[in-house]
Amino acid sequence: MYTSTLQIIMTIIHYFFLVFSAIAIASYVILAIISAIETIEYMKKNSFVNYKEILSSTFSPSISIIAPAYNESLNIVENVRSLLSSYYVNYDVIIVNDGSKDDSLSKLIEAYDLIQIDNLFNEHIKTKPLRKGIYKSTNPAFDKLTVIDKENGGKADALNMGLNMSKNKYVACIDVDCLLLEDALQKLIKPFLETTDVKVIAAGGVIRIANSCTVKDGKLLDVNFPKTWLEQGQILEYLRAFLLGRMAWSRLNGLLVISGAFGLFDKKIAIKVGGYDTNTVGEDMEIIVRMRRYMEDQKQKYKVAYIPDPLCWTEAPDNYKTFISQRNRWTRGTIETLKKHRKIGFNPKYKSLGLISYPYWFFFERMAPIIEVTGIIYFGILIFLNEVRWDYAFAFIIVAYLFSVLFSIVAIVSEELTYHQYKKKSIGFKLIMIAFLEPFVNHPTILYSAIKGNIDYYFYKKIEWGTMTRKGMTKA
Amino acid sequence: MNENLHILESLKHSSPIIQLIWGLSCLFFIIIAILTFYLKYLRNHLRVNEKIETKYQEIYESYLVTYLYAGNDEEAFSSEQQIIIEKLKKYAADPFKRKIIVSTLLKLRNEISGEMGESIDKLFIKLGLLRYSLAKLRSKKWDVIAIGIRELTQFKIKAVHKIIMNNINHPKREVRKEMQFYLVHLYAFEGLEFLNVLETPLSEWDQIQLLEVLQLNNNTQIADIKPWLKSSNDSVVIFALKIAKVYNQFEAKEVLIELLNHKCEDVRINAISALSHLNIIEAKNILKNNFNDRGHEEQIGFLKMMENVYEASDKTFLMEHINHKSTEIKLLVIEVLKNINFEEFALNEAELKKTLTA
Repeated sequence: MYTSTLQIIMTIIHYFFLVFSAIAIASYVILAIISAIETIEYMKKNSFVNYKEILSSTFSPSISIIAPAYNESLNIVENVRSLLSSYYVNYDVIIVNDGSKDDSLSKLIEAYDLIQIDNLFNEHIKTKPLRKGIYKSTNPAFDKLTVIDKENGGKADALNMGLNMSKNKYVACIDVDCLLLEDALQKLIKPFLETTDVKVIAAGGVIRIANSCTVKDGKLLDVNFPKTWLEQGQILEYLRAFLLGRMAWSRLNGLLVISGAFGLFDKKIAIKVGGYDTNTVGEDMEIIVRMRRYMEDQKQKYKVAYIPDPLCWTEAPDNYKTFISQRNRWTRGTIETLKKHRKIGFNPKYKSLGLISYPYWFFFERMAPIIEVTGIIYFGILIFLNEVRWDYAFAFIIVAYLFSVLFSIVAIVSEELTYHQYKKKSIGFKLIMIAFLEPFVNHPTILYSAIKGNIDYYFYKKIEWGTMTRKGMTKA
Repeated sequence: MNENLHILESLKHSSPIIQLIWGLSCLFFIIIAILTFYLKYLRNHLRVNEKIETKYQEIYESYLVTYLYAGNDEEAFSSEQQIIIEKLKKYAADPFKRKIIVSTLLKLRNEISGEMGESIDKLFIKLGLLRYSLAKLRSKKWDVIAIGIRELTQFKIKAVHKIIMNNINHPKREVRKEMQFYLVHLYAFEGLEFLNVLETPLSEWDQIQLLEVLQLNNNTQIADIKPWLKSSNDSVVIFALKIAKVYNQFEAKEVLIELLNHKCEDVRINAISALSHLNIIEAKNILKNNFNDRGHEEQIGFLKMMENVYEASDKTFLMEHINHKSTEIKLLVIEVLKNINFEEFALNEAELKKTLTA
């Protein structure tokens, strides 16, 4: 009796893992196919677009780039130069120094001839108060730049200060260490301006990893492939996520996240929903979900757009400690956002947002690492009990591994067929190599970080700036 | 060999799930192998193509520069130009090289104007490239048609106007857009006649591009925008309002004032902006009288307008709104009041600043 009950339970568990894996694989394949269709459509539409006419036009809408900074002294001067070198004509740059303890502010004052000014702004969203105040440059070459020095309140609070300060229609929220490409703004503003049937409330694009790339005066000169497996694995991971995932979600109008590294927002809507949430570590995801929820509640047609063009390059963690800390934050951010907006989940009132996007994120982003680790532990127990059917186990491990490799290689092929950014010889071989190695190199660490994120969320809640030791990009 | 047979034999006797999984594994493995080789080929192909393209682009650029400076006033094409034309014609027979020639010509065409620009347009026809652009218009692929129209626009081929007009109701927005650019590029305001029949929305992106193209044109003959201001297509009205602003269309004053009561808020906001730009004082009194009935954006637009057309008699109206619930409006009201009497209202501004920064 006891044995047969145990057998039934075990069979149920086996089928649970089998069905979960099958649905996960099927969803990845479907998303990849939709992504391919959307990318081809996008490439066709934009292959003959003349961005120059928008660039120089005084009719182009105004954009504020908001870049929060916390202890970014090492690269801040060069990073701000990159932000100031956009080809777009109608924009300004707001740097929010969020109570940095280093000499970021004095470096900026010196490099950009800043002086303190008396500026009036509307506090739509409550933030921490100003510390030293607001600065503008005396040099006309930097008249687009405003620096705000405020008391420390976290990244979300700094972004909210920028939202209050901006006088423009659109705001581009960007990590200050991101290397923004010169044509990024006009490419990202396009979905807002060309869509007539629905209101575009936010847009994002592809973020690339700049580790080992050569940079001069805030401009990317040479794309190189980093040496460590950890960095290479992240490149592959970004390619998969951006080229095979987000394009599909854009097509389905189901995007729940625009990368915090760079995204463009309709300021009015962002302010109406109350700006960034200062009580979460996943403020980039949370604001998108809240904006979407607001539009659904208002019964207004809307879209969160996404474009496959590489728009900015960012430094990724090059050591396991920082990598784990970053992924831990991402996990906590996802948990917090999904929990806060649980009303959306499986709720037909929210249409595709509630019935497709939320469930997908819940099962395949939020729960997947937990289910995977549970599966590994369960497998360990079966080995211990000598209950493993090795013919099954071996076959499933091989098929799962081959699928993950295949999926990565499809992402690499997509990259080559579209933007072909890694042009140098031998990088192709390295990309293939890392596709085979990544399941052993990065994936276990990602799983560990996700589990740690869950533990930290439930037992050690705290919000802090994501600290990352900057090495600085390779200078020419 | 025996071992392989043994594996196959045991697979044959295993459960269907295992057979399926191994089947999938084999399939994945084969696809991985194919994609790996394809990737190798693709990267090589892209690298080689890039090199060849750069090489030919340099050759064609040098030919074209020589061509441009080899012209004379006596002949349509000098003998030196004829030689270059013959050489380029040979290259143009190959589709890959033809694509590079067209892109080089386009690049150069965008950089130069005047006689030299016209010389490039003539060369485009002389090389027989017009034939290929026209062939693109007959394609079943919408993106090829759009590229064809763009080429004809860039090289200012007016003779194909009728053929291009066939696409006025093309189902694909991009093709319609290219056709509109063709018309405006080549016929300036006359080309805007498509607005009379346009039923689909004209996006903000298209509007910006059309305005830029119009500004490139030196023709001072501006079309009558009144019919567009009365269009049933709101996007056409908004576009016409922008034209009114850029080209100071005082003649349309009455229609512009009528638009203050348009059903669409965006139209009303743009109308206020145009009236403000044109400093039309009559609009001020209309807006003052129904200020409270208007939306937030309209109110802001109106107060910005007041900054240019204020009078001392507006003080009473402004005082009514000095304690408005919106800080943005409060600030604008104080700004206008400051213009009327600086000393009296600068103090209000200082107090407001204190409240905001507290």
